[in-house]
Amino acid sequence: MPISRGTRSHKAVGAALPLFLAAAALTACGGNADGGSSADGKVAGDISFQTWNLRANYKDYFNGLIARFEKEYPDTKVRWIDQPADHYADKLSADAAGGTLPDVVNVSPDLAYPLAKAGVLVNLDKEPASTKYKDEYTPEAWQANEMPGLNGGYAFPWYLNTGPLFYNRALFAQAGLDPDKPPRTYDELFADANTMARHSGGRVATLAATPAIEDFGRYGVRLMNADATEFTYNEPRGVELLTRYKQLYDNGALDAQALTNGPEESGQKFLEQKVAMNPGSAHDLSNFKENAPTLYKNLGIADAPNNTGHPNMYVMGLGINNGSRHKPAAIAFAYFVTDRQNQESVAHKVAIFPSTRGSLDEPYWTKDDGTDEGRVRVAAAKILKGAVNYTPVVMSDEMKTVLQNQVALALQGRKSPKQALDDAVARGDELLKQG
Amino acid sequence: MRPSHQARTHRAASPWLFLLPGLAVIAVFDLYPFLTTVWHSFTDARTLLPGHWVGLRNFQDMLHDDQFWTALRNSTLYVALVVPCTVLLPLLLALLVQPRIRFVGFFRAAFYTPVLASVVVVALIWNWMLDDRGLVNGILHALGAGPVPFLGDGWLLLFSAMALTVWKGLGYYMVIYLAALANVPRELHEAASVDGAGAVRRFLSVTVPSVRSTMVLVGALSSVAAFKVFSEVFLMAGPTGGPAGADTTLVMLVERTGTGLSGRVGYASALSLVVFVITLALMLLVLRAGRGEDAP
Repeated sequence: MPISRGTRSHKAVGAALPLFLAAAALTACGGNADGGSSADGKVAGDISFQTWNLRANYKDYFNGLIARFEKEYPDTKVRWIDQPADHYADKLSADAAGGTLPDVVNVSPDLAYPLAKAGVLVNLDKEPASTKYKDEYTPEAWQANEMPGLNGGYAFPWYLNTGPLFYNRALFAQAGLDPDKPPRTYDELFADANTMARHSGGRVATLAATPAIEDFGRYGVRLMNADATEFTYNEPRGVELLTRYKQLYDNGALDAQALTNGPEESGQKFLEQKVAMNPGSAHDLSNFKENAPTLYKNLGIADAPNNTGHPNMYVMGLGINNGSRHKPAAIAFAYFVTDRQNQESVAHKVAIFPSTRGSLDEPYWTKDDGTDEGRVRVAAAKILKGAVNYTPVVMSDEMKTVLQNQVALALQGRKSPKQALDDAVARGDELLKQG
Repeated sequence: MRPSHQARTHRAASPWLFLLPGLAVIAVFDLYPFLTTVWHSFTDARTLLPGHWVGLRNFQDMLHDDQFWTALRNSTLYVALVVPCTVLLPLLLALLVQPRIRFVGFFRAAFYTPVLASVVVVALIWNWMLDDRGLVNGILHALGAGPVPFLGDGWLLLFSAMALTVWKGLGYYMVIYLAALANVPRELHEAASVDGAGAVRRFLSVTVPSVRSTMVLVGALSSVAAFKVFSEVFLMAGPTGGPAGADTTLVMLVERTGTGLSGRVGYASALSLVVFVITLALMLLVLRAGRGEDAP
């Protein structure tokens, strides 16, 4: 029986619909926030507080902290939410877009910038309730949360971190280098790395990763113009750094997989004693002790080289949701968590550093107690006094990937270092202009 | 006796009532996001900022985006190289484990095990094995060869990820083929043998025509899966998509562009739409190529 035209078209629709639905299910991508209460007024109400991967190890500390706050402000109730380490930015973006961002959120400056730009975070410099606390934090820490073009600080500075450069003394000795004289400048670092590669026949690399934006900063490269509207890391000094990294790569002084290694892979390679040096933090010591005792026995600790006199630091902060219905309580709680007493208290439990003025002058951070942890802690605290956050807050992950990929092209010899950096800056500027 | 008007209405409405919960789920979780994606693809929306209508600008930008062309090339290559393997190799594997002989159950289970393993765990193990000082390069070194930069060279990394996809999918498609082979009458093989057909001839003239529609199904499923590959390449090549992004696939590019607090949702939606159109075309192509029925 011939199929009628109508039946045929029904059949066609019948066949196309599942295909359409199946294909639709394979794609799909989604995509948005607003005013809350006044920041002045009585500290009262139910607020939510979100941390970034802290519940597993510090549950009791935070529960105690919250209980003390609720006791001090009996009209408040704090609900603590902890998010896993991975995809934290995605969680923040989903909450911010959905209008469900917690009242107090744990953010780093690069996460705070897009939130502040979208008007999701409170400008703490504009609210008397928060501005009065500004002088309790170190100027560097407060400035780290000031956003270019947005006139103000958008998060209470919380804890700081910086890292020494760990090195493998045994690998240094095997390469004929003096394990007691780790490289202190970039010149020494590059010279030692080339020596290591030559002595090991290319089997032991010194570094596992390609230079990231903070490496350019430490090398003394100007990263952005004054108003943070254009990248400038393609200036001659930047080209010089990349040219020297290219020589390292060609000589086998960089790990063969450096072009794709992320921080985790680099750390793993150092743990497996496949590379001789790796940046880290005091937090890594327990990992070395537990998972790589042989490495731990041969562990050397040096300051990360820099040409500026200012080491790099990482800053965590607590931002206030602009849409919070209980802003006075949210501000009071964020200040409570980040005040001197509570910052120092948490920094005694974990290898992080307080951002409150005067804290790093306490004996705990100035006097070496003879332990490895104490040595790293005192060294890191000393470094932090002049440290700055080199990573520009306006630099999104996509812009960082652009730089990483252009660096890779230069190291592979497919572009000159100058061309690679010019292209990275041009693309970065283009993305910046798109907002 | 003619059914009453009410009965006719009930009869017409009943199937829709049964379908309603499913349709509601599809409308909320598939259709609405899809239509939103189509809308966003014509805007410059960011993750936290509503977009403005920009017409076809996102699609024009795509034409000048080197990463888009690299990703399109890689996803197309994935289909071109992985699909033939996932159509043929599981069929051969199914033929191997089809006979009811001793220990065949063990081999069937062994071949299926990779399907059950988490792709994250499997990719980690492959990364360790293919590392420049991993198991594979260790063996090559012992044989006086290598090291081969499986994870350092863009092409080798892509081929390694393809090998992982094929290896992990073998068992799944093998089970589909086993079900199809069970329906092939033994008499056909016996008759072909009597006529003097060897194993290769019987495979080409009896087995393949008998499981033709299953091969089309496997081809359609694996080509869609290969075109939208993400996990294997992401886990082996890292978030940058291999050295200088050489191994980025289309779905990786969508993820990289559209996620995070500064995500370019408009552009990522345009990329998603391109993935949708190509996926749809691919499914239609495979189904059209596989028209016809299995040999009796």
